[in-house]
Amino acid sequence: MSSSRLETVLELLQEFYISPYRGAVARARRDEDDLFMLFVFAELMGVPNPATYYTLELQPLLLDRFHEWHRRMGMEHSPLDHFRCC
Amino acid sequence: MAPTHGHGALSLGPFPLLLTDLVDLSGHRIVFVGGKGGVGKTTVAAALAVVIADRDRRCLVVSTDPAHSLGDIFGRTIGDTETTLAPNLVGLEIDPDAEAERHIGTVKQQMKLLVHPRLYAEVDRQLDLARSAPGAIEAALLERVAELMGTAGDPFDLVIFDTAPSGHTVRLLSLPEVMSAWIDGLLRHREHSTRLGSMLRHLGGGRAKGDDLSLLSKPEDHAAGSLEARLKALLHARRRKFVVARERLLETATTAFLLVVNPDRLSILESRKVVDTLDRFDVSVSALVVNRVLPDEGDTPTQDEFLAARRAQESIYRREIEAVFAQLPRIVVPLQALDVHGLATLRDVGRLLVE
Repeated sequence: MSSSRLETVLELLQEFYISPYRGAVARARRDEDDLFMLFVFAELMGVPNPATYYTLELQPLLLDRFHEWHRRMGMEHSPLDHFRCC
Repeated sequence: MAPTHGHGALSLGPFPLLLTDLVDLSGHRIVFVGGKGGVGKTTVAAALAVVIADRDRRCLVVSTDPAHSLGDIFGRTIGDTETTLAPNLVGLEIDPDAEAERHIGTVKQQMKLLVHPRLYAEVDRQLDLARSAPGAIEAALLERVAELMGTAGDPFDLVIFDTAPSGHTVRLLSLPEVMSAWIDGLLRHREHSTRLGSMLRHLGGGRAKGDDLSLLSKPEDHAAGSLEARLKALLHARRRKFVVARERLLETATTAFLLVVNPDRLSILESRKVVDTLDRFDVSVSALVVNRVLPDEGDTPTQDEFLAARRAQESIYRREIEAVFAQLPRIVVPLQALDVHGLATLRDVGRLLVE
């Protein structure tokens, strides 16, 4: 077996063992970020947020992720009556 | 209220105290004047401001009560701009609506840089709703108060805040702590996400397509200053404002809290609650101003003269009420010698209303 083929096999093995963990960590991170989005857009979703005034200034930064987020949250269209991104 | 030397507004018991005995007015930079509605907070704040300004110290007196009466007491229109009332004396009535408008305006501008122009009207509509959300006005007020606290020292030697009735003041003073805890929570979530992100990189994430599911970390973010860093920068800036406001509030050497109380039952009960609540937030009351104390026996003016002067003043106002509210029917209830407290006295006053 040539050394390059051995490397490929090792990589595949590593991938085989590591990928489940990687998936779990990636999902944990995505959940964390989804929660953050919920904090920032809570008031717009009808969830009372004690700090709307302050989270408001984060919204412009997150606006272009809003569409992807509400789609993944199971809402086909923007939950905002007036604020349609789709 | 007419404080005179040796008695009246600031005397308590056999040892008359002066405010200067309790509060080092040359060391203090910020004074909050609080108390129940109608006890004379504005009067105390304005009177203190005038005396300080007379001593050649630059003084700013700020009304935070949405129902402003600071201008009324100076007989001037003040409003939301710094208005010179006397040499060294500047007055200001905070308009929290205008402050909230400014804040929302900034957010609108930033959003409009990011969305398609056809959505501008919708950005406006949505953010105008946020302005009327509960807490927005309060937050705007706090923002302005914190900013004005920063002017204590330069350009003003002393900044005096005439605050709204008690509950509101306590809320204002506790907000920095509550809100910085909230922001800390948000920051913790960001840190956690960052840690998970670096774990992901160690596990070789990003090599395989679709591995990094994070909404907030995309390859394009790393090109133009990461979104993560910008979020954290905003959160940290916001947190810093709260921390500074809170630190200023707690610096007893520079910040004094005066509680105005009247010698009556309801004022005492409410003031006790204020002291307890402030205590919970580690804010201590520097001095109590017992306002609206009747003259003692042997004082000048005598009790008779005092009563006659009050009656003369009152009759002017009774005529004014008749003129101003000529079209409204009026019911007159005399001042009671003793507290209205409990069913029996309430019934007495009730009879005056209906019989």
